[in-house]
Amino acid sequence: MTTETTSQLTSLFSNSTLNRIERMRLNPLRRLTNRSRGEHLAGKGGSSTDFADYRDYATGDDMRYVDWNIFARLRRPYIKQFLHEEELHVVIMVDASSSMLFDDKLLKARQLAAAFGIMGLLNVERVSVYGIHQQEGKPWMLPPGTGRTRIRALLEFLENLEGGGDVPVEKAIETMLRFHRGRGVAILLSDFLTFSNLSRSMNLLFSSGLEVWGLQILGESEVSPNLEGDLRFVDSETGETLDITNAGELLSLYQEHRAWQEEMLHQQCRSRNGRFTSVNSSMTLESVLFDTLCRQGWVLR
Amino acid sequence: MNWPSFSFPFGGWFFLSLIPLVVLYFLKLKRPRMEIPSLALWQSVVNDQRVNSPFQKFRRNLLLLLQLILLCLIILALMQPFISAGPETAEYLPVLIDCSASMSSTVKGADQTRLDLAKEQTRGMIENLRGNGRIALFSFSTGGRRLTEFTDDKQILLRALDKVEATHRASRLDEVLRMADAFARTSPIQRVVVMTDGNLTEHVDFELPFKLEVQRVDEGGNNLGITEMNARRSGTDSWDVFVRVAGSSSEPVYGELKLTQDGRTVGRESIVASNEDSERVVFSIDSTGASLLQATLELSDFDSLEVDNTVWLNLPQTRPLKVRTSAELFSWQHALNVQSDLDIDSGESPSAPAYDLIVSDSEDLGGAAAPIVIYSGIVPGELKDLIEVNDVDLDETPVQIVDWVNTTPLLRHVQLRDVQIGQKARFADGADAHDLEERGFEVLVHGAEGPLMLQRRRGLETEYYFLFHTDRSTLPYRVAFPILVTNVIESAMQRASLSEIVAAPTGVLPALSVTSEREYVIQGPTGESDTVRSTVNGLLTGVQADIVGKYEITDAGELVASVGTGLLSPLETSLRSVDELQFAELNVTTNESQMIDSDRHLWWTLALLAFVFLLIEWWYFQRMKTGVVA
Repeated sequence: MTTETTSQLTSLFSNSTLNRIERMRLNPLRRLTNRSRGEHLAGKGGSSTDFADYRDYATGDDMRYVDWNIFARLRRPYIKQFLHEEELHVVIMVDASSSMLFDDKLLKARQLAAAFGIMGLLNVERVSVYGIHQQEGKPWMLPPGTGRTRIRALLEFLENLEGGGDVPVEKAIETMLRFHRGRGVAILLSDFLTFSNLSRSMNLLFSSGLEVWGLQILGESEVSPNLEGDLRFVDSETGETLDITNAGELLSLYQEHRAWQEEMLHQQCRSRNGRFTSVNSSMTLESVLFDTLCRQGWVLR
Repeated sequence: MNWPSFSFPFGGWFFLSLIPLVVLYFLKLKRPRMEIPSLALWQSVVNDQRVNSPFQKFRRNLLLLLQLILLCLIILALMQPFISAGPETAEYLPVLIDCSASMSSTVKGADQTRLDLAKEQTRGMIENLRGNGRIALFSFSTGGRRLTEFTDDKQILLRALDKVEATHRASRLDEVLRMADAFARTSPIQRVVVMTDGNLTEHVDFELPFKLEVQRVDEGGNNLGITEMNARRSGTDSWDVFVRVAGSSSEPVYGELKLTQDGRTVGRESIVASNEDSERVVFSIDSTGASLLQATLELSDFDSLEVDNTVWLNLPQTRPLKVRTSAELFSWQHALNVQSDLDIDSGESPSAPAYDLIVSDSEDLGGAAAPIVIYSGIVPGELKDLIEVNDVDLDETPVQIVDWVNTTPLLRHVQLRDVQIGQKARFADGADAHDLEERGFEVLVHGAEGPLMLQRRRGLETEYYFLFHTDRSTLPYRVAFPILVTNVIESAMQRASLSEIVAAPTGVLPALSVTSEREYVIQGPTGESDTVRSTVNGLLTGVQADIVGKYEITDAGELVASVGTGLLSPLETSLRSVDELQFAELNVTTNESQMIDSDRHLWWTLALLAFVFLLIEWWYFQRMKTGVVA
């Protein structure tokens, strides 16, 4: 029996939202699982209760898996195979660079990371979280772990994740892969506003057995900028400046470039059997989780 | 192409004001800083925009560029630029203005004469005089006249130009070119500009030491005028008057010619003439005394030039030719006696002080004088050291005539080939025909060893010297002799204006015989008067008559003579323009398209451009303020 308490389990979202999240699970496009046992059904034969296939008996096979009913009818021994339950490694990367400090993008990224992490842990997946930031002395990764007991550590890590720095996404991916072992899903929560091409990073993730899920979080000022006149833009991460003359004339061109970038990221993820979507940081978490992502098949309820 | 020059070049200092403009612009241009998450997208946007619009860098500072252009245009306009037509390249520029009669012609429906058009163009040149340029004005018709020195004072030049008026004389270019050439010795003249209607003689006897630019104004319209008028005595008291009328157009023009004698109409003829076909009209009139004829052309249609419509001619009083011969010159007396209308004096001494013709075998004329004097067997006193005359011995071959000048009026149609002469005239040692010419004598008849007949002109008088006595030759027995005598009489009659009179053209009045050394008042057609003193010989000469009309010569209020003049120039009447002037070694084209441009001022163009740029800047500024997506 559950009792309603006034204290929130986490500051990232309400308990009611948490309850709804607990009933959801991730929906990877491919079965990229680890050999260690878990609750995630692997494609190969295993010892779960879910039937998979039949095959001819071979010497040395466990007699317990012979289907005696078929043997009685056909007088030939057949081995009954079952799906193997292995764990899925869910890697969550939260972009916490300075660019994410605008328009509550980082908050949205932390909320979504917590939701994805909880879904993974409650489904006995192996979950690790990496923060993309540059804060001296601050933790930047939550080591892989499984089980319901890791939820608190997960939430604490994300609640304490502070933004800042100019670490680019691609560099953070390379760093993460030096520590990472195992196949699964890599969920990138970022604004993807980087000067370099992400193709190489995507390839690295894919070759490491990770399905790339890109979730772009943009602020209202990036989706619909309201600018006019001559301006001097200052990059929040690098401090570099860019002079813009008559910014109002460039808005249409900006929107074209933003759409083109979205399309490019989408193609890069899809070509690596992944997913990509872009959300506005002004959208509510519930709207993103229970509507957008559900409809796009990211998660199952 | 001429580069623009500036009337106010010091205005260029205002270009320094560009510096504060640029400084102020960049001081003012502080863009608001705006921190954004990342420049990644915006950088690609800006790069894309620069690629798609190559003038983005230009557009970035378009407002500054517009202001710079605007300021530059205003300063350039302030400097008053102009494209020079050339006067400053030739610092000393003589401008020769044609003032001949054809320049007073007009075109049907227009009031401006050719001279007015030429003066307009000259005025433009004067007003555009820049820098170190100096202009000297000359006017020319038959002769040249300097109107101003080389000066850059526009007021002096314009005042002199205003006084230029068309004369009633024909045009001759060579004399005024010689005047300009004289100036070229003291001033660096590189080119000379001639403002004319092109009605000039094609051949100009002048070697061009400078470049000649002939600026031709348009030709006049249709014209009809009198180009010739003379009278020939047809009887004792009758004259035939010949008047030639010519036109300027290719189409025939009709008119009526009226002849008046002392104000009384004595003839009227319809005439038709074109530039290809002139018409000669003959009037027969009776006149025993002196009278003044006036031929007037009356046209019903437009006539471009009026000054050639009237010509005057003075008919002298008819009288016998007064001839004086020496008493011993029987051959001459015999030949003269058969001629009519002669009053021959063959006495030992002259009975009158003046004759029309004197034939003498003595150098002493006994105080008598004549326009034509013929000496027989006389060697002029000035030539005694150059010529010696001896009798031919009986055993010697008679002297024969080798050559003679048959174009002189006296020897016209005279055949002297077989004449034998009993006297031998020959040059002294070292003397030749050149020495005779130096002393004013011209050889008319050449013998084998020396001259046989000489001619000398002294003012209006002409002397002929037979160096042999005509009676010592076979000349009186030859057919040539009566022809010679007839020629002599004809020349004497012409000189005495008893046989043929030609109307006087404008310029200088013909010499008049009056009382010697007296002052006479000459009143011209326009009322102006001048006082001229007669010479010792009783001649009134050098009286200027530039205007067509009647001139009255009075002595103490009493009319002495009336003399009329006319234009009488086929060239001027034809109004024909020559396309090319042929000089001694060079041809100069006269082309209407060869306009001598005046300076083109550019300040108003720049001011207009500045205004346009001001409007563009205003529009661009307003667009920047309101054209942003809110």
